[in-house]
Amino acid sequence: MGLIGNSVERTGAAELLARARTRAALLPDLLVEAQRIANIVTPGWHGRKRRGIGEEFWQYRPYSAGETIARIDWRRSARDEQVYVRDLEWQAAHTVWLWADPSASMLFQSKQATVSKESRALVIVLALAELLSRSGERIAYPQVFAPTASRHGAERLAASLFSVDALHLTPELSAVRRHSECIYISDFLDPVEETIERLEPLAAKAVRVHMVEVTDPAEEVFPYFGRTEFVDPETGAKLTAGRADTLSLEYRQLYAARREELSKFAKSRGWSFTTTKTDGLASAALVQLFGYMSSGNQS
Amino acid sequence: MISFASPLVLAAFAVLPIIWWLLKFTPPRPQTEVFPPLKILAKVLRKDQSPDKSPWWLTLLRLALAGLLILALARPVLNPRNQTQTNQGVQLLLVDNSWVSVSDWNARVATATGLIVSAAERNEPVILAFSAMPANADIGPFEASTALEKLAAAKPEPVPGDRALAMNRINSALGQTDNATLALLSDGLAASTLPTPLEAISTVQLYTPETRSALALIGSNNGSDSLDITAARDPSRVNQETFSLSAYDSRQRPIGKAELRFKAGEEIGVAQFILPFEVRNDISTVSIDGTATAGSLQLFDAGSGRRRVALIAASNNDGAQPLLAPLYYIREALAPFADLIEPTGDNLDVIIDAALADRPSVMVLADVGAISAKARVKLTEWVEKGGALIRFAGPRLGASEPIVDDQLLPAVLRTGERALDGAMSWGEPQSIAPFPENSPFFGLPAPRDVLVRRQVLADPSLYKPERTWAVLKDGTPLVTGTRLERGVVALFHVSPDATWSNLPISGTFVEMLRRSVQLASNGTTNSSERAATLPPLRTMNAEGRLNPPPVTAEPAAANSMISFQNPPGFYGSNEAVVARNLFNLQTRFTPFELGSDWKNVTRTAYVTSDERDLRGPLFGLALVLIALDAIAVLWMAGAFSQMKRRWINASAIFLATAIFFPVSDTFAQQVSEAEAIDAISQTRIAYVETGNAAIDEVTKAGLEGLSMFISSRTALEPGEPKSIDPAVDELAFFPVIYWPIDPDSAMPSAAALSKIDAYMKDGGTVLFDTRDELQSGFDAVSAPASTLRLREMLASMNVPALEPVPTDHVLTKAFFILQDFPGRYRGGPLWVEASSRTESDPVRPVRALDGVTPIMITGNDMAAAWAADEFGDPLYATVPNDPDQRLYAYRAGVNIMMYALTGNYKSDQVHVPALLERLGQ
Repeated sequence: MGLIGNSVERTGAAELLARARTRAALLPDLLVEAQRIANIVTPGWHGRKRRGIGEEFWQYRPYSAGETIARIDWRRSARDEQVYVRDLEWQAAHTVWLWADPSASMLFQSKQATVSKESRALVIVLALAELLSRSGERIAYPQVFAPTASRHGAERLAASLFSVDALHLTPELSAVRRHSECIYISDFLDPVEETIERLEPLAAKAVRVHMVEVTDPAEEVFPYFGRTEFVDPETGAKLTAGRADTLSLEYRQLYAARREELSKFAKSRGWSFTTTKTDGLASAALVQLFGYMSSGNQS
Repeated sequence: MISFASPLVLAAFAVLPIIWWLLKFTPPRPQTEVFPPLKILAKVLRKDQSPDKSPWWLTLLRLALAGLLILALARPVLNPRNQTQTNQGVQLLLVDNSWVSVSDWNARVATATGLIVSAAERNEPVILAFSAMPANADIGPFEASTALEKLAAAKPEPVPGDRALAMNRINSALGQTDNATLALLSDGLAASTLPTPLEAISTVQLYTPETRSALALIGSNNGSDSLDITAARDPSRVNQETFSLSAYDSRQRPIGKAELRFKAGEEIGVAQFILPFEVRNDISTVSIDGTATAGSLQLFDAGSGRRRVALIAASNNDGAQPLLAPLYYIREALAPFADLIEPTGDNLDVIIDAALADRPSVMVLADVGAISAKARVKLTEWVEKGGALIRFAGPRLGASEPIVDDQLLPAVLRTGERALDGAMSWGEPQSIAPFPENSPFFGLPAPRDVLVRRQVLADPSLYKPERTWAVLKDGTPLVTGTRLERGVVALFHVSPDATWSNLPISGTFVEMLRRSVQLASNGTTNSSERAATLPPLRTMNAEGRLNPPPVTAEPAAANSMISFQNPPGFYGSNEAVVARNLFNLQTRFTPFELGSDWKNVTRTAYVTSDERDLRGPLFGLALVLIALDAIAVLWMAGAFSQMKRRWINASAIFLATAIFFPVSDTFAQQVSEAEAIDAISQTRIAYVETGNAAIDEVTKAGLEGLSMFISSRTALEPGEPKSIDPAVDELAFFPVIYWPIDPDSAMPSAAALSKIDAYMKDGGTVLFDTRDELQSGFDAVSAPASTLRLREMLASMNVPALEPVPTDHVLTKAFFILQDFPGRYRGGPLWVEASSRTESDPVRPVRALDGVTPIMITGNDMAAAWAADEFGDPLYATVPNDPDQRLYAYRAGVNIMMYALTGNYKSDQVHVPALLERLGQ
């Protein structure tokens, strides 16, 4: 078989989970910024450090006209002339949909890469699941894992993922509710139009999508040379190049153009687009995602 | 000429077009790669780029490869040997390995090898005989491989070949075989015996060398003036030739040179070594320069030089007046070139018997008058066998009654003597007339200062003038002599002492005696000894070198022939050496011819160009093509475009390394001149860097402080301390190396330790400082870590026995008077090489030691005590904090430095007062 890269076996659950845990441990609790979806909340465990619906005391604040009288804290107001309203800390959670591309092309791993693309994608999924569950968010995986808030969300997601016989090659995204967040991890090697077509409905639902492109260094650099027969792992299609090294420049341009197009599309929708290379560290992409998800002002 | 052993294989060339057709349509197999973004790649790869055909040059390469293989398989042979086609028989080989075959032995072996190989191809057994071989050597029939082994083991022997003997051996080895081919690889020289043809031999190939080059020293004659060497050459060498001969003594030291000249057309040449007689007697071998055959070496034994001379006087003069003893001057004259024996006995008969028992060549009878009839018979017999009897006159001889027909005197003497001067005489003392031509003394200048005052006279009536060897001016004979059979009888008509004449104290006397002694023939006298069988002592090999005898050499009788068992050389024992030479004066070299009774003889020359099997080169070329093909395939697969950068980098690095560090290994060992000059232009204290920056800083500061102190107190002004790496730096420049031990740093390499060891052995001093005085002593068993490390380091060095500095050691007095050597700590001893305890002389104030202790060990952390900042203020407090201790530490440093630089000079200085006191007296 090939000198540069191979399709590898799918990664085992336990190993993935362990790796995801170590990655997740590197990040503080992921607190998803949910400024835009203030009202549609399902109570979570962690305070948002702001007033809202919850159980814990947050602050006393002077009553302003128009507010419900029922919220006046009479005990506090009796102490001085001012009328105070007792605010509670907002405790909220919302649903984050996670999805990693299970196609055969994701199983590719070149010599330079430390892991396969599939492995990297699942590590990111599970790391996020761990982070989000820890901070009380509800996590979901299309067709596999219904929105659940659980302290052990990552384990349960992992268990579900590896108990499913065959994963669907395209996610069924109709179940995604409005104002959710969606982590879409793939190598985006399908034609760009197909990808856009698949994601466009989410934009209509005001779902914020974080596109994560997993790429292998061999795909990006194209280190092939000589007479080479290329095999598509998905379709089995074959192409033979007489002098592969001569194709390198043109190929890289096309590859970069595709990424640029996807990135532009993400930006235009206010989404994020992250790239992680399998010869780098998963944590880098995770930190970047964390930043996008918790700040929310990337657009 | 090229021929093919299996030409049918060449038909395979017909297959080449098919191979070409197949190759043309078989492109190299591509590398398969999984590649997920194939869709993107598909856009790039619009046109099909894969070639469906191999490039033409690759096809050509492979066709050439196939062609080469076919050619090689056809077994081509360059310069094929003419095969002698015979029926199944036996191949006989008779190889001459005599002394003359040395020069072309390789050609002979090559020819024989070729014959054996071709016999092996015909499946014939081989009988391999040599003309010089042990009588019981196995000559076959052999398999070819065994025969080749035997051939390889054979070598030229320093003896003439015996072909007849070899033919007899072949005859018996042949057995019943009746179809044999004889190849006679001759050396071209006829030997004493002719080989006889055999019935069974059908054809004969006679190989003779194209040029015959025999040249040998065949004999010698140690004449009175010179050593004449006779040489013979092959008659085919007709031109005038000149060779240089060298004579060597028994220890192979050259003694003399001579020129050997062959006149054109002559077979015999003569060379003359004109050397003093004494020197000639030392000649052990003479060889022809630049030739290496057994023939070019002529051996000499003692017999060809010194004669044994028996000295007999009638009256043994008492030793009180040696100058008047009758034999004194004869003894003095003959001693350098003759072995003198002086038999003693009660009367003359006994003495003569004793002398004859020693088998002398020459017997000198000094003033012996009457000889008994019995002794007379014995003497006559001895002279007739070749002895030389030299008699001197004297009062006794003159008074003796003349005997009729006395064979032991060359002249009939008149009774009494003639006095030429004296009160009653008119005569004058006579001098010697020029020597007559028939005299053995002819050629010697007649001495003018010799005067004969008294002599015995021959009876003129019976005198035979031809017996005169020397006459006086007035014509009376002075020396007469005659041959008696093979021997000589001579008479000096004067006495052997200086009373009758002053002849015995002249130089001419020595010459005359020497020539007289040479008249004795040499070979006969020791004949009974020579008849004995002598063991070989050192024998010649075919190259003319003298070696210990081979195992095949056997003791030789004196008259036995030179043979394989008795090679030429020295025989006997070291005390009595007998030389056996290969040739005698009758030797001539005649070309070898087979007798007319040989049939079917073909003559051939030795092969010069051997046939060559071309399979090897062809297969080699094919291999090269295969490698080229592999490279081409790799190149087409693009392997090199991938590797190009790596290769360029690697080769650039390699080139840079090669240019800048051409001999980095030796470079590291050697010190540039500038560095060396810098290192020795000032005396520096060196220190070893531990690698621990803190310690190294303290060491540097300490040595700077010490250097400052030394400059201020002594005449020595050390330069900057120098840090060294013992593994790399040259240590010879430094008198003292200070080595603080850090247990945490890496153990020095073995190379470093061995260099330090060598430095200490060559006179350097290493001061090891374990800096652990404070930690030691708590536990008698376990030592501090740095001490342990030091022990580990010293384990691989040659450390002498150590002792704490004794109170009378030079170190305690080298500059300051000190009794301890403190550093930052006080109390730890300074260990030095132990001096011998034997001399505990209370008077001597200091122990004298040759040299300087190579090693000093302290635990006191001296560098820390010496360490000072740039203002001269100490960096570390001493323990205990005592300013005196620091001063003493400095003084210890000064003493160590002085001791290392001056050695035991200081210990000698101690004696100066005593010496001055002694001088004053």
